[in-house]
Amino acid sequence: MIQFKNVVKRFGERTILKGISFEVKKGEILFILGTSGTGKSVSLKSLVGLLRPEEGEIYIDDQRVDQLTEEEYLPIRKKCGMVFQHPALFDSLSIYENIAFGLRRHYDLPEKEVKEKVLRCSGLVNIKADLLELLPQSISYGMQKRVSLARTLAVEPEILLFDEPTTGLDPITTNTVNELIFDLSRELKTTSLVVSHDMGCALNIADRIIVLDQGNVVDQGTPDQLRKSQVPLTKDFLAEVLENESIN
Amino acid sequence: MKVLTNTLAEIGGLSVFVQEMFSVAYRKGIKQRDVLEQVWKVFIQSFPTTAMAGFFVGGILTLQFTLQVKTFGALGFLGGLATSSTVREVGPLLIAFMLSGKIGAFTSAELGTMRVTEQIDAIRCLGADPLQEIILPRFLGIIFASFFLLVGGLFMSIFGGMLMGVLFSGINPEEYIRHIPTLVSKVSLINSVFKCFVFAFVLAAICTYKGYTASGGSKGVGIAVVSTSVQTMICLVFMDWFTSVISDAFFTVVGS
Repeated sequence: MIQFKNVVKRFGERTILKGISFEVKKGEILFILGTSGTGKSVSLKSLVGLLRPEEGEIYIDDQRVDQLTEEEYLPIRKKCGMVFQHPALFDSLSIYENIAFGLRRHYDLPEKEVKEKVLRCSGLVNIKADLLELLPQSISYGMQKRVSLARTLAVEPEILLFDEPTTGLDPITTNTVNELIFDLSRELKTTSLVVSHDMGCALNIADRIIVLDQGNVVDQGTPDQLRKSQVPLTKDFLAEVLENESIN
Repeated sequence: MKVLTNTLAEIGGLSVFVQEMFSVAYRKGIKQRDVLEQVWKVFIQSFPTTAMAGFFVGGILTLQFTLQVKTFGALGFLGGLATSSTVREVGPLLIAFMLSGKIGAFTSAELGTMRVTEQIDAIRCLGADPLQEIILPRFLGIIFASFFLLVGGLFMSIFGGMLMGVLFSGINPEEYIRHIPTLVSKVSLINSVFKCFVFAFVLAAICTYKGYTASGGSKGVGIAVVSTSVQTMICLVFMDWFTSVISDAFFTVVGS
């Protein structure tokens, strides 16, 4: 469903992605792990055209997307819902209007149907209806992340992209968000790409994991395969998880 | 050399940004409701300060001119003289400076924050064009609101001048107002409105551009706000000279 072929992305003289290649199959949950600045978020943003790679090819459903114009990208963005590292909610709009934003741009729906979809999506991420009229700044950060997820789900994307969805959240909310990612991906049968630092979560919910280091894919496989990996960075990521498991 | 290169790069970037904005307006249209909302917001946010500044500028000019006109026994022309100065020069520049300090910095910070917290990326991902959705309404809002602020500011400056004239120069209100039409010609008014729109255009272009292209977290937003303030001040002074030259040349030709 998604293919990266030798993708290179540079910012000035710094090369962030150094020819990465990987595939994501339909319905799969793929985790992209790596330390900060290794190009994880850049990969996601390149997929939805927020950044343009200098070299290489990106395909979604066999359609090459890396050379599309901003206008041609519109149907691709309808297909790919992205949840950003920050909740990225629009401050001046209520939670209801935030969730309805994409719906109103992508579809020409009557207001009744918009309302139904907003209520359904807010229900999926456990946001109570009485919060919908509030402004984003009047709810907690964890709740804002959920609203952000609801806003993405409202457009009914086939592919869900999560850019460090649990950054800045407490452990309990982190678990809730991780469970939501798993449940929603299975329930809505979406393909999911999750950028994360959290190996523990990846081992629990990913179908496959790839590990990026300094712009290169250094390891990939199923969670079970990665548990036996001899790649130093993967072992470093695993060490902390195994330590926590032994404590428990 | 580096300063020159950076300046040219900034001018180039700004020109491309403005061109893209017009292209989006032409291809996708303008969200009139959002523009009206922005006009109202800018007007409401800036009117108290603009009105107060206009009031005192009118008053100060009246007091300054009192000495000169009294010497020539032309106190009746006090209102016309003070108003003419405000209309031709002080008014448009004052409005632009006020807007620069208040709305320019605010818009730049607002858009910069939207950029670094990925709200602008989110808008693109949700199928909308950020230029059409958030930039154009703010850009046009500043330009149109500046006209209304100019009108409001000018009336306040006349009122301020008249009050000071009555209190300190011993002139009655009717006398103050009587010679305003004599000295404030249509040319002065057109010149004032022309300057007002040019200044507002420059200010709106710079603050939206600096905010939209901010990067590097909260520090980046701070840098965007500071450079908006500095660049608008420099550009406004330059454009004041430039528009004076242009309008003088134009009205000389038209007049002849």
